[in-house]
Amino acid sequence: MNNAFIIGQYVPGESLIHRLDPRTKIMIIFFFVIFVFFANSAASYGLLTAFSIISAIVTRIKLSYIFKGLTPVWFLIVFTFFLHLIVTREGEVLFEVLSFPIYSGAVIQGSEISLRFFLLILVTSLLTLTTSPIEITDAIESLLHPLKRIKFPVHELALMMSISLRFIPTLMQETEKISKAQASRGVDFKTGPIKDRVQAIVPLLVPLFVSAFKRAEELAMAMEARGYQGGEGRTKLRELRIVNRDRYTALLFILIIIGLFLTRS
Amino acid sequence: MDISFKNVSYTYQPNTPFEHRAIHGLSFKISSGSFVAIVGHTGSGKSTLIQHLNGLLRPTIGQVTIGGFQLSSEKKLKQMKELRRRVGVVFQYPEHQLFEETVAKDIAFGPSNFGVDSEEISRRTLEAIKAVGLPEPLLERSPFDLSGGQMRRVAIAGVLAMNPEVLVLDEPTAGLDPRGQTEVMDMFYQLHQQKQLTTILVTHSMEDALHYADHVIILDHGTKYMEGKPEEVFVKKKELNKVQLDVPEVIQFLFKVEKKFGVRLTYHGQGLNEIANELHSIIKGADSIE
Ligand SMILES: Nc1ncnc2c1ncn2[C@@H]1O[C@H](COP(=O)(O)OP(=O)(O)OP(=O)(O)O)[C@@H](O)[C@H]1O
Ligand SMILES: [Mg+2]
Repeated sequence: MNNAFIIGQYVPGESLIHRLDPRTKIMIIFFFVIFVFFANSAASYGLLTAFSIISAIVTRIKLSYIFKGLTPVWFLIVFTFFLHLIVTREGEVLFEVLSFPIYSGAVIQGSEISLRFFLLILVTSLLTLTTSPIEITDAIESLLHPLKRIKFPVHELALMMSISLRFIPTLMQETEKISKAQASRGVDFKTGPIKDRVQAIVPLLVPLFVSAFKRAEELAMAMEARGYQGGEGRTKLRELRIVNRDRYTALLFILIIIGLFLTRS
Repeated sequence: MDISFKNVSYTYQPNTPFEHRAIHGLSFKISSGSFVAIVGHTGSGKSTLIQHLNGLLRPTIGQVTIGGFQLSSEKKLKQMKELRRRVGVVFQYPEHQLFEETVAKDIAFGPSNFGVDSEEISRRTLEAIKAVGLPEPLLERSPFDLSGGQMRRVAIAGVLAMNPEVLVLDEPTAGLDPRGQTEVMDMFYQLHQQKQLTTILVTHSMEDALHYADHVIILDHGTKYMEGKPEEVFVKKKELNKVQLDVPEVIQFLFKVEKKFGVRLTYHGQGLNEIANELHSIIKGADSIE
């Protein structure tokens, strides 16, 4: 299994960012994702980059771990950059590589797009790194609460999300266990022609589905046995609460956004 | 095949916040044809250890040698498939690995992956299903229609049909009924004796370890805590209790006899009948003196 892949992975901790209300974090990221596209000068990009990097440091998770975890995304970022180098033909020719002209506009656009992409991924992965899946679901349920008025099944959606999130690690463990068992019976998942490797998936998928269905049935039974009847009148074990820490963080973020608009060219 | 571990450590998810060293500085030898039990508290690294035996895991530090195969962190083993053919592993809850339409096909899955011809496969399928004590007509049924205990036996048959030279068993009887447990363990013991299979058994049952194994390795927190002959290891009550293990019942019984009657019976692998006889002669002897 690819252990270095960290998107969606939660690392428990006690940092300021860990302790923020998940709703604060989600809203900040929501607006960050929008405002990234407003940056257009070196200073405004610098501001957003500084914000993201400093937030990453504040989480007290090792930076090397965060960056290594983005490995698959690095590939995309670099790819985007080179795609721009080749396709874009604006500005003046800077230099030529094997008689292929590289334009200044291409370098600038390529870097901008790649940087935006990087910032988006970094900030969103900070959310999942510092917020447990349960907190994220609670926050989404709370944020979507107003939609209840138009009969949108908010509670059911949140329940579905939290159950799926809860079972992702279980499914991954199960996948690892079954693939090890089949590897011991001579299945080769890693080498050989593509056709064989595709066929090798069957002995993995069938047991996985069987156990997933069994689990779903058991869970449904356990919930019914304990009297679960949907969201009506249910109280919460963990109450979300906005405290001063959240207010100051939000204020800081608003200042940064104001700064962004001041530094735009 | 002789097996040796030299200073083996294994770390899960190295260089991440989830880094976990599951085994550490392990060294031991298992000679070809022996029956070895590996015991230890839950989480002590037993399953991690046995996954080194067929190359599912490679040691982070140290070296594992299985016959002519060598595993270390430096280089990948080229003949991995050959190693896996020779070392059969029955995992914890092996019934989870069943997937074929019929029992026969599932048992044939291993050998056919290793390129055994179909005639030989059907011969081995029959042999394996008999060995695990299931009736032949079951071969045409779907493995998902069977009872839990039957599924377990089918999964075991699937490993036996690979004709391994080393058989690795990770708690093969967990969750079976008491009768089934004895049957399955007796079957493994018979195979061990008939085919000189090197057998490595991970178990939580000190009774099984005492009864079947000729060598015991005790793990604690990923390191080797003790090893030796079962009748020598299992009398060390204090040391065992320190790592949350119990003395097997027979030996507990002898301890209690000693406490109550002040007579010391040493354990040297005798069965219940023999112990009863020894007690009988001691009590009789005491009577005649009075
Ligand atoms: N895939 C994994 N990733 C991270 N840690 C793991 C993984 N598998 C096992 N561990 C950890 O390694 C340690 C040893 O686990 P292992 O499965 O070898 O124990 P065990 O002796 O087989 O226990 P049990 O008797 O419960 O089966 C445990 O602390 C476990 O949490
Ligand atoms: Mg285990």
